[in-house]
Amino acid sequence: MQFRGSEASHQRLLEVGVGTAIAHHGELLQGVFEDEQGSLHRGLVTLPLPRLRARATFWPRSGGAVAVRPAGRSKAQRAAELTLAHLGYAGSGGDLTIESDIPLGHGYGSSTADLVASIRAVAAAAGLRLRHSTTCRLAVAAEGASDAIAYGCQALLFAQREGRILEPLGAELPPLIVVSLVSGGEGPVDTVALTPARYDSAEIELFRALRGLVRHALQRQDARLLGRVATVSARVSQRHFPKPRFERALRLAEEHAACGLQVAHSGSLMGVLIDAGNGDATARAATLVREAQRVGFRKTSAFPLGVEEVRPL
Amino acid sequence: MTRRPKDGFLAAYETPRIVRLASNLHAACFALMKLLPARFMLDRAEDDGRLPPSGQIVETSSGRFGLALALLAAVRGYALTLVSASSLVDPPFVRRLEQLGARLLLEPDTEATGAQAERLARLRALLQERPDAFWPRQYDNPDNALAYARLAELATEAIGRLDCPVGCVGSGGSLCGAGQFLRTLFPSLRIVAVDTHGSRLFGQDPAPRLLRGLGNSILPANLVHEMIDEVHWIGALPAYAAARRLSRAEGLYMGPSSGAAWLVADWQARRSPGAATLVILADEGHRYRDTFYDDSWLAGLEGWPPAERQDPVRLARVACAGESDWTCLDWARRPLAAVSGKNMTKSYVAVIR
Repeated sequence: MQFRGSEASHQRLLEVGVGTAIAHHGELLQGVFEDEQGSLHRGLVTLPLPRLRARATFWPRSGGAVAVRPAGRSKAQRAAELTLAHLGYAGSGGDLTIESDIPLGHGYGSSTADLVASIRAVAAAAGLRLRHSTTCRLAVAAEGASDAIAYGCQALLFAQREGRILEPLGAELPPLIVVSLVSGGEGPVDTVALTPARYDSAEIELFRALRGLVRHALQRQDARLLGRVATVSARVSQRHFPKPRFERALRLAEEHAACGLQVAHSGSLMGVLIDAGNGDATARAATLVREAQRVGFRKTSAFPLGVEEVRPL
Repeated sequence: MTRRPKDGFLAAYETPRIVRLASNLHAACFALMKLLPARFMLDRAEDDGRLPPSGQIVETSSGRFGLALALLAAVRGYALTLVSASSLVDPPFVRRLEQLGARLLLEPDTEATGAQAERLARLRALLQERPDAFWPRQYDNPDNALAYARLAELATEAIGRLDCPVGCVGSGGSLCGAGQFLRTLFPSLRIVAVDTHGSRLFGQDPAPRLLRGLGNSILPANLVHEMIDEVHWIGALPAYAAARRLSRAEGLYMGPSSGAAWLVADWQARRSPGAATLVILADEGHRYRDTFYDDSWLAGLEGWPPAERQDPVRLARVACAGESDWTCLDWARRPLAAVSGKNMTKSYVAVIR
């Protein structure tokens, strides 16, 4: 069922609306994957980072355009306009304010989070909550791509260029502690403008094998196998978008018997994955953070994911 | 980016069942394994224009690969010419290929050696006649090996971590193909190859062989010796006996090469209880109803029944043995020349030139 504001008699007045969206810490798996028709799509499994958020507030105004703060967030503005049009408020405008604690350009998905928060704020202004699939479609229309964060912490194989699910992976992620490293060197990356990787046929077939393993890892909530998927996928990424100090990060993961290493395929983030189901996980994460800092990864921190009782790290 | 034609039934028919036979032993049971690489090779040739719509396919095969091509050619509307030898095909097989619309050219082979050279000469003549024909070259085409990522996908989805795949080698596609992807996922993977006596693949001198569905008289490029940790040579008799035991123990009615692979995998799994072992069973047993699934046929076989054997004879170097024997060698990922001392050219492209 769709609410069409254009049916004037049913159109409710826009109110102030607020929307939020979470960040991510890059991908557990990224490559190209077949859909049910056998066509290949670029796709990924996102590693969500729910403690960083974007928050958008939309104050409606009748007439005029959408004005956005901070200035220059034109894609968020575009997303707000597309959402107004989708809901039948094409003539309306408003003031959109984005507050976000997500750093720009490192692969945290700050841009998509801005868009998703903005779309949700406009929908909330119309008294609606959109389906995640609709939110993604609007984000793709505004930006040309969207990652899976509209779906929160659900585990999905997601086609980021089309903004649609290729395959639901059925479960939440197993409990993990992610030790976040920044490979450093380069400045922020315009992730949408980045030329996509041209994978060769052996890599495309390797993604098929990885898809089988990621299904198993999520069905059985096996953090170690999920870490293997991430490491192999990160190695493929490294062939196309080399990150400085990648090998050092891999060695850190091995030396501390971590499950694996994931990366933001378009960004500078790397994450050592620790199985939070192990009793000593918190202590191991703390040791790893210290060791990473000692070997020169300056911006290092750890965050839990899907862990029920969190002690400060 | 690419679109795959939908094959309906055949898409399901190429897919193995992954079943658990023991706590640490799984089997990938194919009805007709060769459909998987044949389909993949045709897909890739369609994608890059080597195989146009209604095009011509030529291949030399007397076995399951020929049947797989015939099925796909029929469903997808290609003309298929298969070159084989009179000694290698039986009337039901010939009828089945012909009913699928394939053209079968048989080289006379009174010596029953397989007429490999004659078949390749005939194939070369066909290719000169029809330079636009697509020759899949299962022994050398890298797409043969890449096709088995699908097996790696299904096996890891069902089983998760794998330590030891065991499979027969004919072209090398299935074991080295699946093995390549599985080893990328699990770097400590141990790959166990199963061959038969009189096969050239792992350094024995070529000789007449009783066992079908594994072994080779030529060296395919898809066999990467440097990937293989251990090689077993199984004679026809222990393979038949194993296939019969498998059908009794599990209700799994498979061909003789599957018997050989299961014999080795079962031994391997019992010997290494902590290692997750996967055995590739390539083909069902229906075409062997009148041979080794028939007790009176077996009774006429020299050396039947073979002595019950718990373990293989471990060799220090490659050595020939008989149809009753089971031998094995620690291959240790060495190139063929380092093990056999022979320098041999891989691929039958080389033979043709």
